[in-house]
Amino acid sequence: MKQILSAVGLVIALASALAMPAFAQAREVTFTIEMKNYGGDGAYLALYLADGEGQYQGTLWVAGEKSKYYSHLSGWARGSGLNAVEYDGLTGASLASGRTLKINLDLDDALIDSGYEIRIDTAVEDMRDHSDDIAVPLTSESAGQPQAGRGYIQSFQYDL
Amino acid sequence: MKTKTVVLSLALAFMSASLLADDDCNDPMTNWQPQENLRQKLEAEGWTVYRIKVDDGCYEVKGEAPGGFRAEASFSPASLMLMELEREDDDEDNDDDRYRNNSEKREGTPGSNPSAVPRNGIVSGRPSVTVE
Repeated sequence: MKQILSAVGLVIALASALAMPAFAQAREVTFTIEMKNYGGDGAYLALYLADGEGQYQGTLWVAGEKSKYYSHLSGWARGSGLNAVEYDGLTGASLASGRTLKINLDLDDALIDSGYEIRIDTAVEDMRDHSDDIAVPLTSESAGQPQAGRGYIQSFQYDL
Repeated sequence: MKTKTVVLSLALAFMSASLLADDDCNDPMTNWQPQENLRQKLEAEGWTVYRIKVDDGCYEVKGEAPGGFRAEASFSPASLMLMELEREDDDEDNDDDRYRNNSEKREGTPGSNPSAVPRNGIVSGRPSVTVE
């Protein structure tokens, strides 16, 4: 009996040891995107991570569920190749004019202050597409600082 | 004189049409690269190219993209830069709705399975999202 309990204890200890680093490395990040009153249909937008040279690294969120419109989010579409593995489980409804979207997600801590950027492409039906509506560095310094968008985004900020 | 006016009007009409068409490629033909260059570039990137043709001044490619889906894509003939990429399976819901009963109108192909867990290795777990 004692041996069984020791074995169970060892398994639990090992499992905790393996799990702890994964939790320790993740950082909860909140992205807040406030849209302008642009007066059109719901906006499609792709929030993604790029390196310092603007090269796509990974998708964080896609607002808009019809994949046939994804090609209008051109910077993100080019980088992701519109490969479903890149955005599976990371899509939701498009965002209406004047509304605010808040996204909470866990990001690897090592990505912060390491030369990465957050980029957002936006598109609205029958209106102009905006690649890089937002492009801001992912740094502790930029966190909490509202940024004005170049297209349909009124302001964007992320909080660590 | 009358002929001159008609020719001028037609010329202006064609010019404005090409200016309005955002999806067109406007590379001068002298700068175009051979289609074979594009085919080789795409195959090196993992594409299976079915055919390349010229459409609206762009190279239009039909094939299978590296993600394993059938795609139609436009490329600038000079720089071979990707201009537009469309998944072919999405064409099924393009304008077919006009043949359907309104009550059966489809909403289009969802981008992904919303309940799926992210698999891209950047985000762990499904994000929580609110709209205000």
